[in-house]
Amino acid sequence: MKGLKLNKYKLLELFAPVFGFIVSLLILLLVVMLVGERPGKVFAAIYKFTFSTTSRLATVFSIAIPLFLAGLAVAFAFRAGVFNIGVEGQYFIGGMVGAMAGIYLKMPSFLHIPMVVLASMAGGALWAAVPAILKIRKGVHEVITTIMFNSIALALVNYLVNGPLSGVEPGTNLEAQTRHIRDTAMFGTLNHVFRALGLNIPDHVYLDYSLIVAIIMGFCVWFLLFRLRYGFEVRAVGTSTDVAKYAGVRIGRVQIGAFLFSGALAGLVGLQEIFAIRGFYTFEIASGIGFDGIAIALIGRNSPIGVVFSSIMFAFLKQAGYGLQLYTSVPNSVIYVITGLMILIIVVSNEVVMRYIRSLRKKEAV
Amino acid sequence: MEMFFDFILKGLEMSSPIAFAAIGAVFSERSGVVNIALEGIMIITCFFIVWGAIVFQSIMMGLLVAVLAGMLIALIHAVVSVTFRVDQIVSGVGLNILAFGIARFLSQKIFAQEAQSEINAFLFPQVMGISVFVFALIPITAIAWFVLYKTVFGMRLRSVGENPDAADTLGVNVFWMRYAGVLISGGMCGLAAATLYPSQWVSGMTSGRGYIALAAMIFGRWHPVGAVLAALLFGYADTFRIMFETRIPIPGQFVQMLPYILAVVVLAGMVGRSRAPAADGLPYGKGEE
Repeated sequence: MKGLKLNKYKLLELFAPVFGFIVSLLILLLVVMLVGERPGKVFAAIYKFTFSTTSRLATVFSIAIPLFLAGLAVAFAFRAGVFNIGVEGQYFIGGMVGAMAGIYLKMPSFLHIPMVVLASMAGGALWAAVPAILKIRKGVHEVITTIMFNSIALALVNYLVNGPLSGVEPGTNLEAQTRHIRDTAMFGTLNHVFRALGLNIPDHVYLDYSLIVAIIMGFCVWFLLFRLRYGFEVRAVGTSTDVAKYAGVRIGRVQIGAFLFSGALAGLVGLQEIFAIRGFYTFEIASGIGFDGIAIALIGRNSPIGVVFSSIMFAFLKQAGYGLQLYTSVPNSVIYVITGLMILIIVVSNEVVMRYIRSLRKKEAV
Repeated sequence: MEMFFDFILKGLEMSSPIAFAAIGAVFSERSGVVNIALEGIMIITCFFIVWGAIVFQSIMMGLLVAVLAGMLIALIHAVVSVTFRVDQIVSGVGLNILAFGIARFLSQKIFAQEAQSEINAFLFPQVMGISVFVFALIPITAIAWFVLYKTVFGMRLRSVGENPDAADTLGVNVFWMRYAGVLISGGMCGLAAATLYPSQWVSGMTSGRGYIALAAMIFGRWHPVGAVLAALLFGYADTFRIMFETRIPIPGQFVQMLPYILAVVVLAGMVGRSRAPAADGLPYGKGEE
């Protein structure tokens, strides 16, 4: 009987994200009709870009990898009550440190690849360190400092790629970029594995080693949060700092650790683009993924498993946006509108559901 | 000498969008609502001042449209964070993404370009090389100070941010006061847009000024005059960057970091010496502990 009731609450908690997703899609439909497109044409465009072939579907999963890592980074910090908006800057710096390890270190491949992964994590954690320390020691709210650090990171890598780390031969007319990463540090793809499983994924779709990294990190975060004492402390701090304090948790230490680990996870966001797709570093690696990560974490309710689903859904939305851009008169930016709305609807309906659950529990207690 | 005057005036112009937004932020936070959506609201107001001016062929109408648009977006923040008591930062982040999308979407549909609008020729007249509207900052700062500290409304607004329970007991409507604070901050973003290149909307033109305005408000100790003075600091730092970037022997990218590093340093040095309103950032629910 008790187990049944728990399940009821769990189901109610799932209501908010599902409701948010559905309402957002309905709004998308409304916008589409206001713009004067036929819904049929719009759905055809979305279908064509997302589900129509194995290759398209695989692309959705491919772009979900960096999104997952970004969402995981934000979610982990959230769990400890830290709002890490700095994922953007952290992966720009993390990617650069990783790329440097890939360019300037010489070692066999089986060492070099873990090395660049660790270097990227170190870079991301490094960039999170100052906002983390300022938050704990000085009480400066991390939202403003991390946003400032995003801008600083962008200018910094812009300088480094154009200056000391530039790998562009004088006279050639290439965009600013570093030297090429050594072959020993380059990520192979897993496409042959999927082919062996009967899924024919063409070579231009990147299901590369960063997928393995993402799976390992997802498992690590789950294990840390739900199986270790530290994870319990993280969740306690995130739920209520007062209660955690009375229970003897050292809040500052827990939050600094979570902030740094979140930065380390963020450092991994650029892996796919740098080590599998481009093979060099440029400040023009895809931007905005850090902010997508906030939406993904919120929609995934800050749990590693939730983030798996929400990052795939987000990748689907992104691809759908490109489809709309190409085949209809609905601009790609509608996806940002939908994302913003989805966040707002989810948090509002979540609040309403939580209040409802609380009142149910009160009644049960009586 | 001429360059010095140029620097003083240009600096004032560069400071005023941050200053207007920071004054607005003071009202919002004094009522107890953190408004991180300032950045997104500014994106929207910058778009609508250009659109309004072009459509009605008058910058005053553009300003009116921008103020209304700013208040409308702010209203969403108020509904989500005051009525539904959602975490104010989460609501602000969601709104920023939404605003970014709305501006680009409208630009694509109205001006057939996603990242920039048409040129708007209806501008405020220039005085000494800068927009005359910049000088409105002085009376508006004075009015903001007067409203906050010398009127019943201002006192109630501040009481709601300090101790909503007590204010509620004394018959102050906490919700309406907080709505007012947030809506004022949205309207002020409309004024900010009037001094931030109203000749054309370009995606990304606000470049973090909404967040800088928040930093200015904190540095200004949640006081309108303090916030404006802090905004001047950031505005002049930015003007210095623009005017002297090419003459300084250090790489341009480091000069570009200046306002952001300044914001972090200022915030790090400030804390402990200033205090946020006691109920700032906390949702208020009647009869809840």
